Amino acid sequence: MTKYIKQGWLVVLLALAFGAALAGVNRALDPKIKLNEKNATYDQVPNVVPGADKEKTQPVAKNVLQAFDKEGKPIGWVITATGMGYADQIKALIGLNADASKITGIYILDQKETPGLGSKIATSKWNSQFIGQPANEPLSVHKRMTEAQKQEKNGKIDAISGATISSKALTDKVVNPAVAEFRTALQAGEMTKPKEVETK
Amino acid sequence: MEYVAQLILIAFGAAIINNFVLIYFVGICPFIGVSRRVDMAFGMGCAVTFVISIAGLLSWFFTYYFLREGAPWATAIYNACGGDGPSNLTILSYIIYIFVIASSVQLVEMYVRKFFPTLYKSFGVFLPLITTNCAILFACLEIMKNVAVPAGTDPSQIWGLGQSLTLAFFGGVGFTIAIVIMAGIREDLDLCDVPKPLKGPGITLLVAGILAMAFMGFSGVNGNLEKLLKPETPAMQASAVQQSNKATDETVEGKVPEPKSMKALPQQYPH
Amino acid sequence: MAKDGPTSLERFINGILPENPVYRQILGMCPTLAVTSCMKNAMTMAAAVAFVLICANLVVSLIRNILQPHLRILVFTLTIATFVTIADKVLAAFMYDTSKQLGPYIPLIIVNCLIICRCEVCASKQGVVTAFFDAVGNSLGFALGLATMATVRELLATGSWFDIPLFWKEGTPSETYRWSLMGLAPGAFFTLGLLLGVANWIAEKFAKKQTA
Repeated sequence: MTKYIKQGWLVVLLALAFGAALAGVNRALDPKIKLNEKNATYDQVPNVVPGADKEKTQPVAKNVLQAFDKEGKPIGWVITATGMGYADQIKALIGLNADASKITGIYILDQKETPGLGSKIATSKWNSQFIGQPANEPLSVHKRMTEAQKQEKNGKIDAISGATISSKALTDKVVNPAVAEFRTALQAGEMTKPKEVETK
Repeated sequence: MEYVAQLILIAFGAAIINNFVLIYFVGICPFIGVSRRVDMAFGMGCAVTFVISIAGLLSWFFTYYFLREGAPWATAIYNACGGDGPSNLTILSYIIYIFVIASSVQLVEMYVRKFFPTLYKSFGVFLPLITTNCAILFACLEIMKNVAVPAGTDPSQIWGLGQSLTLAFFGGVGFTIAIVIMAGIREDLDLCDVPKPLKGPGITLLVAGILAMAFMGFSGVNGNLEKLLKPETPAMQASAVQQSNKATDETVEGKVPEPKSMKALPQQYPH
Repeated sequence: MAKDGPTSLERFINGILPENPVYRQILGMCPTLAVTSCMKNAMTMAAAVAFVLICANLVVSLIRNILQPHLRILVFTLTIATFVTIADKVLAAFMYDTSKQLGPYIPLIIVNCLIICRCEVCASKQGVVTAFFDAVGNSLGFALGLATMATVRELLATGSWFDIPLFWKEGTPSETYRWSLMGLAPGAFFTLGLLLGVANWIAEKFAKKQTA
């Protein structure tokens, strides 16, 4: 027994010292990391719902945040949606206006589409065409639309040339189902009052 | 059925589409060091697959019951000792994983030497090398990413033992595939006149680059595989139906006619 | 201070060029290939490795005389894993975006052969000062290796350096000429393979000159 203590005391001592160090680091940094994780979503709320105040944003259901402006008036909704893209899951934030009739913005949180082609779904140059599109019917993707057609905002999305699958995946697998599901829930009255939802 | 489909997707993803070596660059050291001969490479691959499965099993067990936020057993112990609320030991996970890997390598080595002497002769020599093989820690970390999820996540999203083991085992299979292909090429490369500065690791890396390019061709396969295996959710079906209706009576309002061949294809295969 | 083996200065200089961890010793390939698609990630990785290497070398060197030889590797691993966890948490707290992009490659520093190799070769045999300079030299050498890789890859793939666009700018027609492949897995293998060849070629020339 003494042999083991003689040989192992250093390891035990080091383990204790390192354990204490880790506990200290965890205690000091964990709140900040949690805040960072939360902010990764919350920071984008004003970008997808123009005029929204980040501080006033509240979770109302799983994957749904309600956005308020500075005076505390509800001005929109933010949905976190995921779906299978061309290469891997696409995770996006979708902003809707207060009565969920129009899309007010879209932000890609996470994607691994082909760089240079499919990855263009994350550029605001392309995905700004979702802004102002109607949310009451599914959007559809079309090829080679002209500038004038893009401005019409009648539920048609111009595909990225060379990345039709990624464009379609974002529209059909991420945006449409999430918006449809949210609108059904909203009409059923599930989103009326912000309730306490466990945050991270 | 859903479960089996998910397992197949994970397996195919780990072994082929996101090959550990050629896409994530883990396990490069043995990939370059032990890929001179096919039989040696195969032995190494088997040893890695063996250890990675055991390490995956153990790390899932520790993560699920002890390390993740609100893990049942750790929380029980914590509350029994006077604590309150869910425990969170994720900060210890890296240390636990590396010791799990080191001890499973030791365990496997002892077990194989004792009970399968012939097997030990064929791949036992590679076993001690495996501890510092990043592929194994990488598999543990991938499992952690899907098990130690933030509190409040849908419990059905948390990986069970099945998913974790599938990922680990097929990650090892992917490693074996890559290293055996590499060894086959290198056996032929010995006969080639390689420029002197590129001899050894240099040319191996260049060949690996070409292999990686070939494996990139698999990206996108999982999207269609998922379509094949998983029944569509009602919301998706609804939108698909509406869309196909739209597509049929579509008045192409900008006089930009799409090529006929494109239109004739079914909706879900846009290319 | 060093009774046996090279002195601090030799260790320091050796780490940077003659025994460069990336090109000469071929250690720590996994991060070299994985995080060098842009300079910012590569330098963050280099800083994390430097932190872990310096701390681990110091600790190992301090306890080298009271360490049981057969428990050596266990203690090395424990030390490295602890410092990697600290580095990971610090990155997640202060550089959240970068830490998310680096993903599993920060914890994979634990199994980076470079660190355990330096602990074994230098720190467990020599004094604290030598170990410190050895760690700094090797960290700089590693950073140099990552920087050359990242410069080549980021310039070719996106036309920028440290995210500052230099050519092939966004929105101009020349955007099309980006060599996206260099930012992906094959590009990493090609770049490292060719740079290894160049490094070997230079080393050979240098050796010839010295003997001549």
